[in-house]
Amino acid sequence: MRYLWRFLPAAMLILLILAVFGPAMSADAAERVYIDITQPFFQRLPVAVPDLKVLTGGDSQVAKDAAGTLAKDLELSGLFRPLDPSGFLEDPQKMGLTETDINFPSWRRAGADYLARGGYEVSGAHIKMQLRFFDAVTGRLVVGKVYEGDLRDWPAMVHRFADEILMALTGEPGVFGTKIAFVQASGKVKEIYISDFDGSHPVQVTHDNSLDLSPAWSPDGTRIAYTSYREKSPKLFVVNLLDGNSRLLSGSPGLNTTPAWRPGSSELALTRSPDGNPDIYLISSSGAVVQKLVGGPGNDTSPTWSPEGRKLAYVSDETGSPQIYVLDLGSGQKKRISFSGNYNTSPSWSPKGDLIAYCGTSGGHYDIFVVRSDGGGVRQLTHGPGNNEEPSWSPDGRMLAFASTREGHSAIWIMSANGDGARRLTRLPGEQQLPRWSPRFQHRE
Amino acid sequence: MKRFSGFLHVMVVLFCIFAFGACSKKAVPSKGEFGAGAGYGADQAGTGPGGLGLSESQWRELGLNTPAERQEFMQRAQGFENDDVYFSFNGYTLSEEARKTLQVKAEFLKRYAKVKVTVEGHCDERGTAEYNLALGERRATTAYHYLVQLGIPSGSVTMISFGKERPLATGHDETSWGKNRRAHFALNFQ
Repeated sequence: MRYLWRFLPAAMLILLILAVFGPAMSADAAERVYIDITQPFFQRLPVAVPDLKVLTGGDSQVAKDAAGTLAKDLELSGLFRPLDPSGFLEDPQKMGLTETDINFPSWRRAGADYLARGGYEVSGAHIKMQLRFFDAVTGRLVVGKVYEGDLRDWPAMVHRFADEILMALTGEPGVFGTKIAFVQASGKVKEIYISDFDGSHPVQVTHDNSLDLSPAWSPDGTRIAYTSYREKSPKLFVVNLLDGNSRLLSGSPGLNTTPAWRPGSSELALTRSPDGNPDIYLISSSGAVVQKLVGGPGNDTSPTWSPEGRKLAYVSDETGSPQIYVLDLGSGQKKRISFSGNYNTSPSWSPKGDLIAYCGTSGGHYDIFVVRSDGGGVRQLTHGPGNNEEPSWSPDGRMLAFASTREGHSAIWIMSANGDGARRLTRLPGEQQLPRWSPRFQHRE
Repeated sequence: MKRFSGFLHVMVVLFCIFAFGACSKKAVPSKGEFGAGAGYGADQAGTGPGGLGLSESQWRELGLNTPAERQEFMQRAQGFENDDVYFSFNGYTLSEEARKTLQVKAEFLKRYAKVKVTVEGHCDERGTAEYNLALGERRATTAYHYLVQLGIPSGSVTMISFGKERPLATGHDETSWGKNRRAHFALNFQ
């Protein structure tokens, strides 16, 4: 069963960065201007990603696939527009790898502002990959890396490099090595699955043959808490992704639902109802109740933590309809922040600060909205079709995953934080819902 | 790479198989079907007032020894289980009609004092799964409290929320939604 848990290759594989190319980088740092894709009228940057060059060893399929994966990552970031490789005049197996032997004017004529160029050597089950990203206008190297490891882990290397490209251009690394957990429904059975951030390689994580809901990643990305009916009533379990074992964390009578791990700690917020009234509790990593965070006569549920773990957004229907509230744990103050519509649920607090995405109603359907934590600046991100629910932020705060029925059965989609570029991630049978974006995984180097 | 491409091939084949199945789902009429028991009868251990689930010792435990008694119980139990209590959208308070239904259930439970019941809280398909779990819990709790108020021992009644996960009616209109916003009462036998 161990092989199933190889969907965390970025955490497990040992990458050796042999050299960082680009001697001019430190001089550039002082005058670096970061690209801001949230500004109005932002135009995607055209980038050429030719096939990698096979330096030694077999498996030329990697040459094509690695380029394809890198182009797709850059495209999904919302920052780039990869050019069609069929328009490239140069033979990738013949053209150079470094700034001194690449014909940049030729690439500029092809329409590229940027060029991603790489090569690799394979020996047995081992690969060594060198990747460089150039500003085609100036002919200068932006970032270059060398990666080494198991041949099967080449996608993780490409994703890491895409993260580096985003870092160099925007000041914030990408999220290309992250995962998305979600609920896969097949008939009456719902299980927790994980896929890559782009929807590829879906893997089944739970095998409870029951109703499993609400996956929530631990801050270090090694465990997922979730609610399961496998012991008849909704109880909270935690599955360890490194060995596949799951254990009961909270099994109090009533609900043990909507887990949310507290940033920078081992505690979790969750909904419990030992007295029949759903409220939000804080529990320790052993499942013991630390305190009740949100009580009162209404139903309180769906907690989501602020990035520092000192505030909590949640849903309460104490006014008669479900609305979004923010609790400041320090002062104990609760503040309502949603005021339009009679159904606002499913809040998700951006890991990058002051935005809360949630699900509200619009024209008879459910759509995704964002609001600042003080309740101001409400913006509608989706406008149908179908229902768009259960938003979850990427760790860089640039994208949202959500469940949408716009193409029929519920599937997981992603979009930029401004609502643009919505694209479908999951294409499994049945239905997919309740997505939860992973944190960035630790890398060993 | 080989492992992944093999996996992808399986997924593509599965997708093709299910895509054809999925097509027929789109033809579901807006007036949904009512699946009696919606399958959760099978989830509960020891239920089934059709006489099928009860052993001789269970009958004696209930104090029902003659065929006539048992027949009467089975009929009343069927009525007990078939009669749900309904709620308004996002609501969990009891209407006058709901209270009447619960009074009839209380009479049954007093008559057959050894019987235990699970109150299930359900919601219609609209809205998010998580909030609906909380709402379903509250509906179950409200019905439970009223039964206890009517004199039913709290030890005889357990509660569970299924949110919108186990709908009875499968349509996408108010008729179906109204049928799903319910508390359902499932009998348990030792």
